[in-house]
Amino acid sequence: MHTEPSRPHTLSNFTTALDHLRGCVLMMSSLAQLNLQNAVKGLMERDDDWCNNSIADDEEIDILEMQVDREGIEVMSRYQPVATDLRDVISSIKIGANIERVADQAVNIARRARKINEHPEVPELHLLDPLVKLAFSMFNDAVRAFAERNAVLAVELKSRDKELDRLNKELTDRLVNRMQDDSANLPTYLNLIFISRCLERVGDHSANIAEDIVFAVRAEDIRHLAK
Amino acid sequence: MSAEKPTMSKTPELSHHPLELTDDFAAGEANFIQVRDFKFFYGEKEALHGINLTIPSRKVTAFIGPSGCGKSTLLRNFNRMNELIPGVRHEGDISIHGTSIYDPSVEIIALRRRIGMVFQKSNPFPMSIYENIVYPLRITGEKNRSVLDVTVERSLRSAALWDEVKDRLHESALGLSGGQMQRLCIARAVANSPEILLMDEPCSALDPIATAKVEELITELKRDFTIVIVTHNMQQASRVSELTAFFYLGNLIEFDDTQKIFTNPANKQTEEYITGRFG
Repeated sequence: MHTEPSRPHTLSNFTTALDHLRGCVLMMSSLAQLNLQNAVKGLMERDDDWCNNSIADDEEIDILEMQVDREGIEVMSRYQPVATDLRDVISSIKIGANIERVADQAVNIARRARKINEHPEVPELHLLDPLVKLAFSMFNDAVRAFAERNAVLAVELKSRDKELDRLNKELTDRLVNRMQDDSANLPTYLNLIFISRCLERVGDHSANIAEDIVFAVRAEDIRHLAK
Repeated sequence: MSAEKPTMSKTPELSHHPLELTDDFAAGEANFIQVRDFKFFYGEKEALHGINLTIPSRKVTAFIGPSGCGKSTLLRNFNRMNELIPGVRHEGDISIHGTSIYDPSVEIIALRRRIGMVFQKSNPFPMSIYENIVYPLRITGEKNRSVLDVTVERSLRSAALWDEVKDRLHESALGLSGGQMQRLCIARAVANSPEILLMDEPCSALDPIATAKVEELITELKRDFTIVIVTHNMQQASRVSELTAFFYLGNLIEFDDTQKIFTNPANKQTEEYITGRFG
């Protein structure tokens, strides 16, 4: 059983520090969402400028990740949080690391997209659409679950990750077959496989974020549970 | 009968001890101190409202809670110290090792010999370090010099103070530092080989180094004693205790493993108190 505290800390600086830490994580997640959108936009619209934006903006997320770590350590050393507060700090740091990796996937997608854009468009590009839609919705919901401390939504994300894994495998098999039939576009198919893999990884990181949210809110460790 | 008795505090020389330790104590007893429906009144004011609590032997149990919550009141009932205050009374019962401390056959002096106590402010007697330690033995009539010497060394060693004072045992205890005085009081409390050690905010007047030494000492002492510590320092409770009881307004709100209390307390009031959301 777990109950959320309803009162603010007597020490207002403690509340301010925790809120600021949380704010940094939310800022990171907004930037990562934007970078992911820009990378996919650069791919779908065959526009390198969007890809370049996504790659350039990654640095800001790296800096924020370090800031989240610093502030988390500072809260622990200054205020010695326990219970909900301790779990919030620990999960914020871990969620920050996962958001940074989502942003890295955006960079990977953007780099692959620039390579794809050098070659003629293939119709299989749009086979990525269901994966894009699911990966985006998973990451957006992970961010929403964090913002709202919504453990129910977080738990649900775990099952959606399996669907994304399945879509990735299906698409990879299909693209491997196309590589045999259409060897002229082999580099493009190969890059699409890599992008599919990146989107699948976005789902994995979203699921990791969901696990950390469940730990923060319910004090339950749902990692590595039997499938 | 094969369980080994605690070695540090139960040397054969200390045969003056009126109560032999049981094998259960040596092995660790889950229901060592039992508090049942215990109410305590200062005059008309009910300070404890029907407390039920079971404390195991040879573990450190921390009592936490805001001022006036009743944690020290309960602690001071374990050795019936509260009875020194006029107008107090109680309902319910406290038993130690299955025997009620209020049983008419229990002598208060004998009871207090089984239960050492350390207070917030160190209170060495205005006499030498040596005499401070042997005082509890002298009042029970112990005169054998070798027994007294052995007790002094053993007690000071168990309080991690021997190396610091062994060359000045006959100097005044009032010349020690605050941290040393508190450890001397712990040494004096364990000199009489009690089973239980009650500590009422033992580090609140100490600097961080002296606090760390006392905390290290508590960890050492729990091998031989059942320790109950009242503390306002959350970090101290989480560092030294295995079990934590949270009291509020004379009620026991939650009692559980310290790890559980400080990572995922079941009760909202506990959560709000330990995370600093009271007041």
